[in-house]
Amino acid sequence: MSDTGGPSPSGMVLRRSIGTATATATSAGLAFAAIDYLGVVSVLTYASGAAAAPAILIGGVLVLIVSGIFSELNGLYPTAAGIRLYLGRAVGDRTALVVTFTYMTTVVLVIAADAFIIGSAVRYVLGEPPALAYVWIAVLLGVATGANLLGVRLAGWMQTVVTYTVLLGTLVLSGIAVFHVGGAFRRPLDLFGMGGFSGIQAVAFALFLFAAFEWVTTTAEEARTPPVITRALFVAPVLIWLVASVFSLGLTHLVPFARFHGVAYPQLLLGKAALGTVGELWMLAITVLTALNTFNGGFLVASRFVYAAAREGNLPRQFARLNLRAVPWLAVTTLAAVSAVVAAVVFATGQWLVLVAVGATIEAGIYATASWCLVVLRRREPRPRPFRLAAGRPLGVVGVALFGVLFVATGFSDPENARHFSALPIGIITVLTALSTLYVMLVVPRLRAAAAARAAATRTRRRPPRTPSAAQ
Amino acid sequence: MADWDELAGALADYTVSCNENERLRKMQRDWSRVLHFVCSDTGTTFSMTVERGEIQSTPPGHVGTPDIVVTADSETFCDMFWGDLNPVQKYLRGEITVKGSQEDVMRLDAISFVIWPDM
Repeated sequence: MSDTGGPSPSGMVLRRSIGTATATATSAGLAFAAIDYLGVVSVLTYASGAAAAPAILIGGVLVLIVSGIFSELNGLYPTAAGIRLYLGRAVGDRTALVVTFTYMTTVVLVIAADAFIIGSAVRYVLGEPPALAYVWIAVLLGVATGANLLGVRLAGWMQTVVTYTVLLGTLVLSGIAVFHVGGAFRRPLDLFGMGGFSGIQAVAFALFLFAAFEWVTTTAEEARTPPVITRALFVAPVLIWLVASVFSLGLTHLVPFARFHGVAYPQLLLGKAALGTVGELWMLAITVLTALNTFNGGFLVASRFVYAAAREGNLPRQFARLNLRAVPWLAVTTLAAVSAVVAAVVFATGQWLVLVAVGATIEAGIYATASWCLVVLRRREPRPRPFRLAAGRPLGVVGVALFGVLFVATGFSDPENARHFSALPIGIITVLTALSTLYVMLVVPRLRAAAAARAAATRTRRRPPRTPSAAQ
Repeated sequence: MADWDELAGALADYTVSCNENERLRKMQRDWSRVLHFVCSDTGTTFSMTVERGEIQSTPPGHVGTPDIVVTADSETFCDMFWGDLNPVQKYLRGEITVKGSQEDVMRLDAISFVIWPDM
């Protein structure tokens, strides 16, 4: 297999390719969704006051190890299908499918959560009754679905502008809040103040703030050179760390924990506390902007994954059907419908922090799995790669253990109460994984057998047999 | 290994199948791209120019600045252009590698899917 990195094999650079700034924006934009504000609240639940900042810092350092791991794996398989390839080579095709299906549920969770958060925020600012939030959620998902079905996509440059605006807007307002007179930092550097295990859980939730930054590897085929993706994987977490840290400090500085813990729009409370109505509208605008990235990137990544899975024979072939704009319409509408149902459940139960816990647990599990892939592929595929993580094998082993612990830490967390444990997050993930496993074990073989039978019954080989002269 | 004559035959059939498919032409009406192909086993190269969904030429060698570069062995290309294999399965196994945007990769596969929906 040839290396697709760098200039094309023909020695030419592609007419359209992405550089470091765009790749970094893609990575940061995929990670920094509206749910990240609730992610910060979850960190603050376990590391109250200014103690959240060191938790986010430790989480960021751990994510840099993940950056190294994904950089090396991406160098081995620089393709949008990379995760399937390296998982398949390391743990087998069936396990790879189960993991990938479970992984993709985080996209649905993020889309649903963002729709819920933005709907709630708009409803709050407009002073409407709480029930109207779901109307906004439906409108948002409807608009996003319509735009996707029409093939409307955010241009690369616009995605870059939106991402940097969101990050800078949050950073500036949070900075103003930090230097605002009248607030007070609470419990600085008391990382284990909420119990003996709370510091570990705080770090585990901090990981969630970076979740999905690694999806930039799906753009590897567009990258100008292989180091573009590597640079993005290392720079984007630093940007997110900076913004999330200052946001956590600003929030804890100006808004009492009891006020922001029970709401789905802590960023609006921070804006109001820092700059009054202007600050509130500022943060509302930023929140709505995050939707552009989430709905553009999330729908695109997930629907194309569903399309490829259907074309490969792992999902019913109907999911690969394209409309006249070359959009897999059933994949897009199904994603939207599932997201709407998840958002409705969250809306009805008010358990939005459980979404964060589930997302954080899945992400820790994915990082542990990627670490394991690195360990295995160092042995099985010793060929040169564009990026080689220093001390990769020991770091991979450490990653498996470390992210395994963080998987358990978030899996049994109760984000409503730091001093309690709950099996709800791990229970949801167990159900998702069990469903994925049953599907892969029972349904996929039947789909593949049906496809093979259909092809055998309806198709004959079209390529003409080779003539003796051509065979020579 | 397939030689250029076999590839040219496959490309000619693919061009006709693509250009005569009205649904495909309508779906790809906003898709104008230059594609470069590289046979990893023989080193043969060729190009494909697509204008508003219509394949206009498939000359040997690399012509113009590419939007997409596809690399596979010559047998895979022949089977792909004859509609005898599913490109996505090869792509997901790493046997076809592509350099280009995800959207273009999907559009390229969509051609095969629309022409040969049973594959």
